[in-house]
Amino acid sequence: MADPTALPQWLERFDRDGALAEAACQLTTTRRSLLGLAAAGAGATLLADPAGAAAAGASRSDVSILNYALGLEYIQASFYTEAERLGALHGPLAEQAHVVGAHERAHVAAFRKVLGAAAIKEPTFNFQGVTEDPAAFRRTAVALEDLSVAAYKYQAPRIRSPAYLQAAIAIHSVEARHAAWIRRLAGVLPAATAFDKPLAPPAVNALVASTHFVSTPPQMTGHAAPKFTG
Amino acid sequence: MPTRTRRLLALVVAPAIALAAVVAVTRRGRARGLELRPPGADPVGARGLELRPPSADPLSEAPAADVAHAMPRRSRAGLTLLAAPVLALAAVAAFAPRSGSTPALAALPPPPRPALVVPRPVGLAPVRDASRVAPVRRAVPALAAPGPGAARVASLSTRTPEGTTNVVELLGTARPERSGFWQRIRLAVLPNGTTGWVPRSALGGLISLDTRLVVDRARLRATLLRDGVPIFSAPIGIGGAGTPTPAGEFYVRDVLTRYRSPMYGPIAFGTSARSATITDWPAGGYIGIHGTDQPGLIPGRISHGCIRMRNADILRLAALMPVGTPVIVR
Repeated sequence: MADPTALPQWLERFDRDGALAEAACQLTTTRRSLLGLAAAGAGATLLADPAGAAAAGASRSDVSILNYALGLEYIQASFYTEAERLGALHGPLAEQAHVVGAHERAHVAAFRKVLGAAAIKEPTFNFQGVTEDPAAFRRTAVALEDLSVAAYKYQAPRIRSPAYLQAAIAIHSVEARHAAWIRRLAGVLPAATAFDKPLAPPAVNALVASTHFVSTPPQMTGHAAPKFTG
Repeated sequence: MPTRTRRLLALVVAPAIALAAVVAVTRRGRARGLELRPPGADPVGARGLELRPPSADPLSEAPAADVAHAMPRRSRAGLTLLAAPVLALAAVAAFAPRSGSTPALAALPPPPRPALVVPRPVGLAPVRDASRVAPVRRAVPALAAPGPGAARVASLSTRTPEGTTNVVELLGTARPERSGFWQRIRLAVLPNGTTGWVPRSALGGLISLDTRLVVDRARLRATLLRDGVPIFSAPIGIGGAGTPTPAGEFYVRDVLTRYRSPMYGPIAFGTSARSATITDWPAGGYIGIHGTDQPGLIPGRISHGCIRMRNADILRLAALMPVGTPVIVR
């Protein structure tokens, strides 16, 4: 009997360095992980409901895809920004985080501008120490960049507007360069196969949920009567 | 030009250009010891191939001319080698008879304009007064040193006495052998200024801040700085002689709104500071920053240790000061 928690073979190939495999094996079903993600307050991020969204000239499905891409860009931008701010990286790895972080922030800015009021809000992240440890950072960056490339690849043919498709492809190739760069730094083949596989949203969401990077925002505002000394 | 003449020119001129270019490059290559190496022999190692001077800002987009100047002679020679056949092809194309496909190419529609333009990447600006807080995700003891064997300093809960998420200011990290990541934090306990160590795994995501509130007890004034620049200043009331506002470094733990308690005004911030004299106060005698129903007493030394402001000022401050902001009382 097949192990229900095992990754499909093609997904294992995608996760070439095994960075996400261990966490993904903890999942029992994709749906459970999706529900977990939604419960963490980030459901809107990767399962964007485009109802009411109306980016100028974009179809409903294109807005949904743009928001989906924005969700992935939020994760990457926050990841690199936090790593650079904490200053735990040095040498080529620090340079990679510096350059790639700037790109990811630019991607976020572009998506937010074009989506306007329809843009999903940035969730709260808890990178659980991987931005503070060079080895963990390197493994996670490989996984995130590979994930991003595969997710863009899946969505690109589904974009209806040629203008949005052109923009998405422009970003997709940059993400592929990021993936090659960090793979080189991680000591794995920058281009391991002749053909890359796309990754559908359920698998992307499951992998993101398995990292537990998207967290519940802390409740820092209260309405209790103050009991300070006065 | 007649078609026959163009064909003749193409046949003669194109190989001549290619031959000249190859000869020129070969000569330069010999003189400088040009060698072709497989990609695996790349001596730059993990840095990878780069087409810019190592000292240049990696986020800058140098003009093409600058990039070309930055290339090593070997790369330029290689480019010339590549360019030779391209030049030859261009010459053939220029002189070759017009093909029937040109009108078809001209009929193709122009490419669509991209719907979004990705702006130029901008690096992170250095931040003055940078600080970080993180929520406590699970109750843990705070220890005197990093590592499970150290003495217990205090207990850390996930909630504040006001029922909000307990956030702690982060002061440093350590990674003792086989003990994982540990975080040094500022503790909201007496004596004020106490710090402790907790496992990083007990804390949630980091929140970065660039604000800082400076409370000047001598001048009876509070000033909020963002990235080192004052953005708010207001007169304050502080603790009287028997109930002084404690000096030291603290942080904002939470903010309370929409309560029914006029003496605290419309907004009250909780801080990590505690009164050293009113220790039996409900909830432990924490120092707050809040409004007042007696604005005429401000500025003055009139409180039980809290920092009071006029209501208009506390409302202005609430719009500018996030939870987690360090508070310096001097």
